[in-house]
Parts: sequence; structure tokens; C-alpha cells
Amino acid sequence: MRALLRLAVTELKLFVREPMVLTFVFAFPVLTVLILGGVFDEDDPNFEGALPSDYYVAAYIGVVIAAIGLVMLPVHLASYRERGVLRRFDVSRYPRWALPAAWIIVAMVITIVAIAVLLVTGHLAYGLPEPDNLLGVVIGTLLGALAFISIGIALGMALPSSRSAQGLGMLLFFPFFLLGGAGPPPDAMGDPMSSIANVVPLTHVVRSIQEPWLDLGSPTGHIAVLAALVGLATIAWVTLSVRTAG
Amino acid sequence: MSMVIEVEGLTKRYGTHLAVDDVGFMVSEGEIFGILGVNGAGKTTTVECLQGLRRPDGGRMRVLGVDPRSAGSQLRALVGSQLQASALPDRLRVDEAVLLFGDGDRNSADRLLQTWRLAGLRRSSFASLSGGQRQRLFIALALLNGPRVVFFDELTQGLDPLARVEVWDAIREVRERGTTVVLVTHFMDEAEALCDRVAVMRAGRVVDAGTPAELIARHARATTVTFTPPVSFDPGALAALPGVDRVERHGELIRVIGTNQLIAPVCAAVLGDDQSGPPDLKVHHPDLEDALIALVSDPTDRRSDAAAGRTLEGVA
Repeated sequence: MRALLRLAVTELKLFVREPMVLTFVFAFPVLTVLILGGVFDEDDPNFEGALPSDYYVAAYIGVVIAAIGLVMLPVHLASYRERGVLRRFDVSRYPRWALPAAWIIVAMVITIVAIAVLLVTGHLAYGLPEPDNLLGVVIGTLLGALAFISIGIALGMALPSSRSAQGLGMLLFFPFFLLGGAGPPPDAMGDPMSSIANVVPLTHVVRSIQEPWLDLGSPTGHIAVLAALVGLATIAWVTLSVRTAG
Repeated sequence: MSMVIEVEGLTKRYGTHLAVDDVGFMVSEGEIFGILGVNGAGKTTTVECLQGLRRPDGGRMRVLGVDPRSAGSQLRALVGSQLQASALPDRLRVDEAVLLFGDGDRNSADRLLQTWRLAGLRRSSFASLSGGQRQRLFIALALLNGPRVVFFDELTQGLDPLARVEVWDAIREVRERGTTVVLVTHFMDEAEALCDRVAVMRAGRVVDAGTPAELIARHARATTVTFTPPVSFDPGALAALPGVDRVERHGELIRVIGTNQLIAPVCAAVLGDDQSGPPDLKVHHPDLEDALIALVSDPTDRRSDAAAGRTLEGVA
């Protein structure tokens, strides 16, 4: 346990020393907050009765979660494989699951800090609404973060190089970002796009946070989808991490 | 003497390519054992199987009495490894690396950094280290936690001559502490300088094994003396000297080839009246490199295929 903690602390230091990661995880969502909160008219009818800046709060959080899970983790892990760092760990005393487990801890810490930075920025810029059900918001956020972190680890364990991870990560990130809640609200989308948006995993993260926050309905269905994603992605990365090279 | 590593009939296939073909050898406690061969001979695959990094298709392996296939995690505490093509994260610092892979005890980490002359580089990131410094760090990491066996794979690849000699000294120190060393290399001078015993691999097979002296005696008998003779010299008389097999002429240069018995008589014969010999007189004793070249290019073996021929340049 002490060894795992030491591994997590070292990995956290390495993440913090990586400027590209910090830009994408901290600066990009903050810019999104500032832009999205201000582009819509306050009495735009597409926001289920909420203020646009209130409606987008959950989406900001979703952007952080998606940036960490789809870009930061896969690129980082795939570069470890590409450069032989994983091999170095394979001959160390750390069991195979130790590195992914440390990444879950590290990514959770980064997620929480990045979300805090975001909410402060959002509050200063537009003012944040009082959450209707704080516990629901926290559960939705943590479960959503865990789902995307697990997906990110599975992608990072499966992809051969940091470039392929960057390519696939971006390819997933932008549609998820636009359709998952940070783009136009579902009511403003045409039917086909709105149906696609419903199967994008990020949509479930954003709805799991948004519904308890703004009292827009029960998020149980979305929570169930997230729990299933955590399970599937965990099975995937555990399977990938214990295999021995051919 | 007890056996630290036993390998028998080890086989590993990549698709249709037989990378390791019925390999067997033993490594006894406290020795430096070399696995030699040109590039692509199957050396790295063999040690990767022993380290539990690859799953062989057949054969029997024991490292410290256990099978690396089933007891991988148990072995990792007893075996140290420096891998070919492995790295640390660029921004990881030297002291962080030692703490991360060690038992986390600062005092023992400090001692290790002192021993490997890394103490001054404590705060340097991995990316900023030179090739020799990185290899010293890898050796230090391989020796963390007091392993009983260490694997070094192409440890001096890409190092300058000074750094290589440094690393050689380091490996001798490791052995002096009683640790068994398995050294994979395609540098024959390195193997000759360090190894107690070696196995030579070619195209996935062990073609011969023994001490460097035994291999040299078996496969590289020829001693040569070369020089540019004075104008009046008659090279024909050399052929009758003891130990001489033949005398070749390459332009101005005379090359006398035979056993090491020929050295003294030939040198005496070329001594001029003023007791000075030819200034370019050169004596070449057979060495492990000659033995390896003879072994991997032996035309009587049906396996002397393109692989062996192609990689000869790697030896030179």
C-alpha cells in the first residue's frame, strides 16, 4: 500500500511537470466556461427553463472529465508503452495492476482540482446556481470521472503509441464534447443528432450531474449507464494489463 | 556449485519465424555468463523468457529453482534487470527513480547513488542524462533490493569507449558482491573482458558454449604477424619456420599465418642487422571475435543462412 502511494505521488509529480497536459486539462475547460456561458441569450427557450450559464455548468465538468479520460491518460500511458517504461515496470517489484491503480488515484486528484478551478472561474464570471441535490451532483461527478478514467486506462493499454492515442483521443473527444452537452442543447438539435447525442457516453456524465444540480429529473438511467461503463472498462484494462507479450 | 539458471529445449516462435530453437544452458552461482551472437540471433528473446516477459512455446526453464512462467512475481524480488530498449519517464529525476523502484528508504537510496556515482545527478531528470549516466542508473536500478541474479542486455550499446570501460568496471563490482550476472552482448571484446563462460547463439540456436579461452582455442586458432619487410628481405624463408601455416603477400605487406608458436621465430627473422624491426610490425592473437566470426559463418552448417551473413557487419 505504501509502495502504491509512492507510485501515485511520483506519477502525480510527473503529470504536473507535463505542460501540454496542464494546458489541455486546466486551460481548455476554463476557456470553454467563459465562451459557452456567454454565447446564448438569457431567455433562450432551449435550456429546459434554466439559464444558459447554469445549464452549461455540468457540461464544463464533463469537458474536464473527457479531456482527462480521452486525451491525457491514453496519450500518457501509450507513450509509456512506446518508450519502454512499461517494460521497466514489468521487471520491477510492482505487480502489473499497480501502475493503472496509481493512475486512477492520480487522475481522480487532477479531476477534482481541475473541476474546482473551473467552478471558481465560472462562479466569478457568471455566478453558479445552488445545487438542488448536492449529494447527487457529487455522485454523478465521481462516477462519471471514474468511468472516463477507466476508459482512458483501457485505451492507453490497448494503443501502441502516443501518436495513435492522440489521434484516436481527439477523434473521440471533439464529438463527445460537442454532442455530450458542451455543444448546443439537445432541444436545439435536430432529431438524428439528438439521438446520436443520447448514445455518447459523455452525455450520461453531463446529465448525471445536471439533473440533480438543476432539478431536471431523475438521473438513475444515466447513473446505471455510467456504472456499466466503469465495469466494462475496468474488465478491459485489467485484461490488457495482465497479458504477457507473445 | 549450485545452478542459478537452467534452460533446456527452450523454443519461441514469432508467427512462422523460429526465434529461439531448442536452446539449453546452465549458469552457476557467482559467475558472469555471456550470451553472444550477432543481431537477430535470439539472445534478447531468450533472456526475456527467463525474465518472465515472454511466454516461450516450449522447453524447461528454472531461475533460482522456480519457473518464471508461473512464479513471475516471486522472482521479481530476486532478479534485477536492465532491459534493451527501455526508458524512464523524461521528467523523472534520478533520486525519484531510485526511491520509486527501491524500498523507499532514503538512506539505502543515498548509498546506492553514491556507489554508482550518481549522487551529483540526484536532481537531474532522466531526459538530461548522458548515455553513460543512463546506463549507470539502469545498473543501479537493476541492483536495488539486493537481487541474486541480474540480467544486462546490450548494456554498452551506443556508449563511448570511456563510458564502456566504466560500465565494465561496474559489472565486475557487481560480481564481486556475489551476484550472478547474465550479460547479453554482441561486443566480443566486452565478453572477453568480463565473462567467465559464454554461449554463442546463431539463428536461434546455441552453436557452442564454454569459457572464452575454450571457444578461442576451438574456433580461432590462427595467429598472424604482419609487417612491411625491408627491401632486401626474402619472405620465402618464413614458410619453413615453426608454427607457420602459410605466408601471404598483400602489396608491400607480408602476412604470416599459423599458430602462436610462430611469433618469436618470425619476429627474430625480420630483425635487421641494426637490431630494429619493421616499424609497422603487428602481432594479432586469436580472440573471441575471430571465434564468433568463425562460428556464425561456418559454411558446413546448413543454418548458415542469410541471417548469419547479413549481420556479420554488426560484429566488425
